[in-house]
Amino acid sequence: MMEVLYDAATRIRSDRVNTWKENGGRVVGYTCSYVPSEVFHASGILPYRIRGIETESMEIADAYFGPYICTFPKCVLQLAGKGKYNFLDGAIITPGCDSMRRLDECWRKAGDTIPGIVPPFFYYFDVPHKSTGHGSRWFRQEIVNLIAALEQQFGVKVTDEKLHDSIRLYNKGRALLKELEDLRAKDVVTISGTDAFAVAMAGTAMPRDEYTKHLENLVDELKKKKSKSKDTRKRIMIIGSISDDLSLVQLVEESGQAVVVAENLCFGVRDEGNVVDESGDPVDALGKAYLGESTCPRMYGKYKERLATLKSIIERSRVDAVVMQNIRFCDLHGSENGLFERDLEKEGIPCIRLEREYGPLVETGRLRMRIDAFFERLYSHPSRQETVHDMEAV
Amino acid sequence: MRPEIKEYNMDWMLSSIMMAASKTADGSEKEYLRLLEYIPYFSGILDPIKKEGKPGITFLKMFSDYLENIVTAHDKGKKVAMTTFCFSPSILYSLGIVPVTLEVLSTFAALMWKRGTADYLDFCTELGFTETACSAQRGSLGAYLAGLGAKIDMVVCDTPGVCDTNANAFTFAASYLDKPYYQLNYPQTLTDGRTSTYHLDDYRGMIEFLEKTTGKKLDLDHLRGILEEIKIQDQLVADLDDMHRLIPTPLPVLYNLFIYAGRFMFAGYPQYTKLLTEMIEASNERAKAGESGLRSGKEKLRAFMCYIDHYSMDLKFFDWMDRKGIAHLGGILSRTFRDNSSYLAQLPGSGYAIDTTSFESLINSVAQMNARMPMIRSIRGPYDRPGMALDETLALLKMFNADCVIYNGTPGCRNTWGFLKPFSMELEKYGYPTHIMNTDAFDERVESWEVSQERLNEFFKIRGLL
Amino acid sequence: MTLVAGCDVGSLTSKAVIMKDNQLVGIGVIKSLSDPQDSADSAMNLALKNAGCSLSDIKYCVGTGYGRERISFVNEAKSEIACHGKGALWLVPSVRTVIDIGGQDCKVIRIDKDGVVEKFITNDKCASGTGRFLEVMAKVLNISLDELGDLTEKTETPITFASMCTVWAQADIIKYLNSGHSVEDIGAGINAAMAKRVAMLAGAVKPEKDVCMTGGVAKNKGVVSTLEKVMGVRIRKVRKADPQIAGAIGAALFSKARLNGGGAR
Repeated sequence: MMEVLYDAATRIRSDRVNTWKENGGRVVGYTCSYVPSEVFHASGILPYRIRGIETESMEIADAYFGPYICTFPKCVLQLAGKGKYNFLDGAIITPGCDSMRRLDECWRKAGDTIPGIVPPFFYYFDVPHKSTGHGSRWFRQEIVNLIAALEQQFGVKVTDEKLHDSIRLYNKGRALLKELEDLRAKDVVTISGTDAFAVAMAGTAMPRDEYTKHLENLVDELKKKKSKSKDTRKRIMIIGSISDDLSLVQLVEESGQAVVVAENLCFGVRDEGNVVDESGDPVDALGKAYLGESTCPRMYGKYKERLATLKSIIERSRVDAVVMQNIRFCDLHGSENGLFERDLEKEGIPCIRLEREYGPLVETGRLRMRIDAFFERLYSHPSRQETVHDMEAV
Repeated sequence: MRPEIKEYNMDWMLSSIMMAASKTADGSEKEYLRLLEYIPYFSGILDPIKKEGKPGITFLKMFSDYLENIVTAHDKGKKVAMTTFCFSPSILYSLGIVPVTLEVLSTFAALMWKRGTADYLDFCTELGFTETACSAQRGSLGAYLAGLGAKIDMVVCDTPGVCDTNANAFTFAASYLDKPYYQLNYPQTLTDGRTSTYHLDDYRGMIEFLEKTTGKKLDLDHLRGILEEIKIQDQLVADLDDMHRLIPTPLPVLYNLFIYAGRFMFAGYPQYTKLLTEMIEASNERAKAGESGLRSGKEKLRAFMCYIDHYSMDLKFFDWMDRKGIAHLGGILSRTFRDNSSYLAQLPGSGYAIDTTSFESLINSVAQMNARMPMIRSIRGPYDRPGMALDETLALLKMFNADCVIYNGTPGCRNTWGFLKPFSMELEKYGYPTHIMNTDAFDERVESWEVSQERLNEFFKIRGLL
Repeated sequence: MTLVAGCDVGSLTSKAVIMKDNQLVGIGVIKSLSDPQDSADSAMNLALKNAGCSLSDIKYCVGTGYGRERISFVNEAKSEIACHGKGALWLVPSVRTVIDIGGQDCKVIRIDKDGVVEKFITNDKCASGTGRFLEVMAKVLNISLDELGDLTEKTETPITFASMCTVWAQADIIKYLNSGHSVEDIGAGINAAMAKRVAMLAGAVKPEKDVCMTGGVAKNKGVVSTLEKVMGVRIRKVRKADPQIAGAIGAALFSKARLNGGGAR
């Protein structure tokens, strides 16, 4: 079970994707958590969140993107240029941020010189930057347009009934992931952060029906799992910009001093988003849920809301310290991390900010040194939990 | 930040220099020359501007007024809004709000001070704001975050969906200073009805916000007056554009800076109308005589800046163009995109109209105008969509008879660096030699002007342009 | 009395110290070799020789720096951050902020009165803001590092440099040399660029007084004096020992704490 999920989380063309394609299935890639997966599922298409892993060089990406661009879309372009995404029948670009949205032109123009790398259905999904009033009306229309485009391109019919079925299925996954999060919040943590992150990511890269079954089994198993009586590891939360490689979580956990009990990263549980209303108009419900909470700093002016979300997760999962990461040139997450650090440290929650290049952890040594020093800092001060307990004792 | 930098507010320092600079023209030429010896710290920028004659002096006075408004705003009981250059200030003025346009301040500090804005830039980083963010905002943002400027009452920007790093600077400021914030955001499209409706709805939301924050009702007559004045100004800019098409162009290199900086500061105000009128008068005389606006009198080449100018100290970039005999055909900042502009024939649906007849038409005009401000208009969606950066650049290149294209920006510009390579390849395909400057327009520490200049010279030599 | 040791294997130099009763009794500083173990051995042997004792006399040794886990004689590994904080406190008891600039990295550490790390930051860019930057620039100017440090006080008109990138700054220097600018102006400009970069990093940890500098760059007078100006604080001189060995001293102090019972705090 874990093997299947790991396979989907760590390989671009996983076994599950291969099987799906061999059986004549269609795959549409997307690049941002604001794209509603249910729409594809209801069209019988496998939605696949486009990844940057397995990148080995950058020569194609560097020919189109400038030097001051986040390495994630660069990796995506490089992989596309190398034909790694030739299995995609479609790709959805969004204005998630400036680096990501320029993937549109760079990918298309690269296709002029490298034939066959641009999927036949190449679609721009325009997500607004505000979630109420005209913003939500715009977004709703974008979903309607996307459905129409899918119907035309792939000769399918997306009915309300099918959308409702897909919403129910995705919601089931969301509920299970929520259970997993609750299990991770317990005193003794029975699943490593690395495993949990892989599990959450797998959901964006394999058929949902099968994924949900695996997830169900995993949660059942974890519930039954006998655990040690005491867990003395520091409880860490990882937040920040796009990150779809397990190595950062591994780096935090490998010394055995810490366990990652929660994340708020662009991939993982945040990608799953909110529970979608199962009654009423399904497009309305999708629009509301996907645009609803301003989870990404691209929704400007909602810092306080995001801080509140962060604090509630810290409370729920009883987080001792927060590791904040951003890919270099991600000003949005990078700067917001600066604010989070200011406001969380004020409340006695130690934080560390890491700016890094995306991809195979080229800077592992340097990151290791900083994480080690951060742990020393954690262990040389009484942890937040201990302090709370002491106060209760008094 | 160095302790001595904290002694004075940034806007106050700029204001007192500009006030002094604008008064230097009041005396005789002999007095002025004597005076230059006593003001080594700003003679480098004062002299080239003053050499432009009447428009130069008017520009100095206008900038001085703008800064004085900022430093005296609270004394006069006015609110202060931190905002961006691509946001039309007219709506703020209509509500009695004084705009602090970060990029305008960053630009003039970079042009004027040997240290540039380095201290303020770096201070932002100390507070947790990313170092990779655009220096255009950061250069003065640092001062305001450090409390070295007029107290900010609200933050208003319009770049989400257009330029993230810009929007991010303003949202950071609002969160850091804990001030009310409104963002106008823009779809990735421009020319269709659905987009226009979004522009209008969003703009209405902003007016509500501004009314709530100031406790005032929008003064429609005032707004109408401003828009009527903008109508006149847009016509004057269109007239200047027409003269710009002449070979040689009678417009001096610095006029481009005057045109856009004036618009960002005082669109709809008589100061700007005066400036434009004087520029037209001066250019008209040269145009009649068939003279070039360049000091040498010889136009060797016509260059179009496809993005922004380079603001190295003492206007060295502009001076270099002038010395080389290169006419400056403007850039992304220079044009209005009013429906009376001649280039719009080739860019259907991408301009705006001004109609002041009713409340509805007033609000719609100002909303659609704002949606055509620099950057907001041309770099919101994929560059090859109808009316976007490629169409626009090609239309302008053709209309102004450009020989070549120069890109200049900042390393913080995720947006343009995201499409610049394929974009410049296309321009080359159309036959326009294109040079990409690897500088920071507002921070000479990234690449010194000496090096930039050498690379420019090399480009013109290798491509056989000069 | 028991002898304890600390060993700090850096990218350019490796340092070992031996301490007894809170006092230094042996110091070994060598140029790092390709293998961390070899570097550690050489530095330790030198320190042992200076102290007049043998490895078996050492009761506990903490290692830090690159490859610290792989050193055979080390009982425990600690991060450079913790060691530099602890070591700096021993060198200057009033210190609360330590700026350590080594060959390839730059760290700013804020500590409490016991030397426990409260907040730290390290450079995460390339060579800018590190000793490597100065080395490269000194080489372009064809002067020694010490000479470079002396240039700041010799001019009032330093050049403003591209401080962001070592490669680009080199191009700038060559340009300035060719156009006849004085070595003093250029050198002072380099020191200033370095100092400003470090000051920015330091600002992010909200430095508290007293501030001291350790690591090789602490020997550059020009950088230190400019840094004082930019930060607006006096940087305390380290007189007790060579500031380069702060990390090794900190490691040795952790060894001592470990023997005295309890965690190495």
